[in-house]
Amino acid sequence: MTVDLDAAALDPDAVDLSDREFWVRPPAERHRVFDLLRRERPFAFFEEPVIPMLEPGPGYHAVTRYADLDAISSQPSIFCSGKGAVSIIDIPADLHEFYGSLISMDDPRHAKIRRIVSKTFTPRMLERLVGSVREIVDDVLATARRTAAEGDGTIDVVADIAAPIPLRVICDLMGVPDEDRAMVLAMSNIVLSGGDPELIENRDDPLAAFLEAGMTLAGIMERLAAERLERPREDLTTALVTTEVDGERLSSQEIASFFILLLVAGNETTRNAISQGVLALSEHPEQRARWMADPSLDRTAVEEIVRWTSPITWMRRTATQDGELNGHRYREGDKFLLVYAAANRDLEVFADPHVFDLGRDPNPHVGFGAHGPHFCLGAHLARREIAVTFRALFDQLPDLEVAGEPDRLRSSFVNGLKRLPGRLTGPR
Amino acid sequence: MTRVVVDRELCVGSGSCEMLAPDVFEVDDEGVLAVLEPEPWDDDVPAVRDAVQACPTRALTLVD
Ligand code: HEM
Ligand code: SF4
Repeated sequence: MTVDLDAAALDPDAVDLSDREFWVRPPAERHRVFDLLRRERPFAFFEEPVIPMLEPGPGYHAVTRYADLDAISSQPSIFCSGKGAVSIIDIPADLHEFYGSLISMDDPRHAKIRRIVSKTFTPRMLERLVGSVREIVDDVLATARRTAAEGDGTIDVVADIAAPIPLRVICDLMGVPDEDRAMVLAMSNIVLSGGDPELIENRDDPLAAFLEAGMTLAGIMERLAAERLERPREDLTTALVTTEVDGERLSSQEIASFFILLLVAGNETTRNAISQGVLALSEHPEQRARWMADPSLDRTAVEEIVRWTSPITWMRRTATQDGELNGHRYREGDKFLLVYAAANRDLEVFADPHVFDLGRDPNPHVGFGAHGPHFCLGAHLARREIAVTFRALFDQLPDLEVAGEPDRLRSSFVNGLKRLPGRLTGPR
Repeated sequence: MTRVVVDRELCVGSGSCEMLAPDVFEVDDEGVLAVLEPEPWDDDVPAVRDAVQACPTRALTLVD
């Protein structure tokens, strides 16, 4: 069944967020539906999407108001992440091993691991990294220029620009050798495809493909961790294998899980912020000209791109007890989707929420998560990557144009582009 | 005099505060937050207010 979006924009009963077709509609249409839900059904209930071979769960509530979303996010003992944060279905036990890391953990384990990994993600560690981000971006853009020049002038903004930058940053950060990188990209695509058959070769059994991808990544990481224990280097893997908190180190299993989390959390998100940022700038040429001319806009512009694109559409929480929140009664076990994309357009918080304004200030968006202990660990790094990338695009590829319709990922969780046709018209 | 108070139980060392008010906050290599200016200068107070707002775990409070 496909949703009739004109009807859905007027009638909350016609909305179904579990319909995959909804998620490939253009953002403006999706936002009309979010606006409706926010206004009329701030805790709208939906049946769970059907997944082959899995029992459907009890359904979920989509939280679309900023105030409700922030209240849930900041009470992690009442609304936990441990039943699953990145999927609507509860995590099957056999997947927990690889995918049940940090992001779907509760205290006290979450606090312990977060303390270890946050040591390696401080603003000062980041300063040391900025030079290498700049080098990576310059190299990727030079390659894109060559690809266009050797071909017919066209590129794919996703494959040629937005995807390689965050992947190379994370691989550098972890010290992944060049020969493993293509594999790492392919596997992390499967992990985050959310079951899009076009991205998974083994179509009949996405679950098996999912598991296999996790095992492959874990294998690469465990090998690397063992190497660093013997011969330490200046990379995150070395820091992870040697860091202690209260006399405890991460096990090789925990390091492998964390690596998978970094790959999925740090790659596709930043990739989609960049690709959809390029798209948004091409749709708003006056904003692009303004930012290009004024580097002092970098800070607010990056925040606005994250608000506008909301690369992660939602995270899930599960009630650990019965209670009431802002007039909504809930029971233990109720699932809530914190729909960041919707909260980021809440009129109560953002003036003219549907206006793309690179100078927006203040901009308390929840694109990196709302208040709470799971707030994006890589937020500083992502901001840096996005700022460096756009400044370099303005300097080195000022002739970049969007040359066709974007091809959207069929995922409710990641607001992503598979392809975005681009053209380099050549230096003028 | 405005004073900054950190709830050590809540702080996860994310460094969001340091990004906004680097003269006042610093997360050291151990991931532990140091408050460099517990009683920030008037100039720094707006940035510190932003940091208090932005702290993901609401670990910071300002006491007037
Ligand atoms: C524009 C880019 C990015 C966006 C929009 C984004 C968004 C998010 C969101 C919404 C959360 C969940 C917050 C919650 O559950 O309360 C999160 C968590 C996380 N992110 Fe990001 N992220 C981005 C980039 C990155 C990067 C570059 C990295 C690492 C290199 C990263 C690593 C993580 C990790 C490890 C977590 C889990 C933290 C925890 O559970 O304690 N993210 N991110
Ligand atoms: S922003 Fe909050 S959690 Fe992060 S280091 Fe500062 S006080 Fe700690």
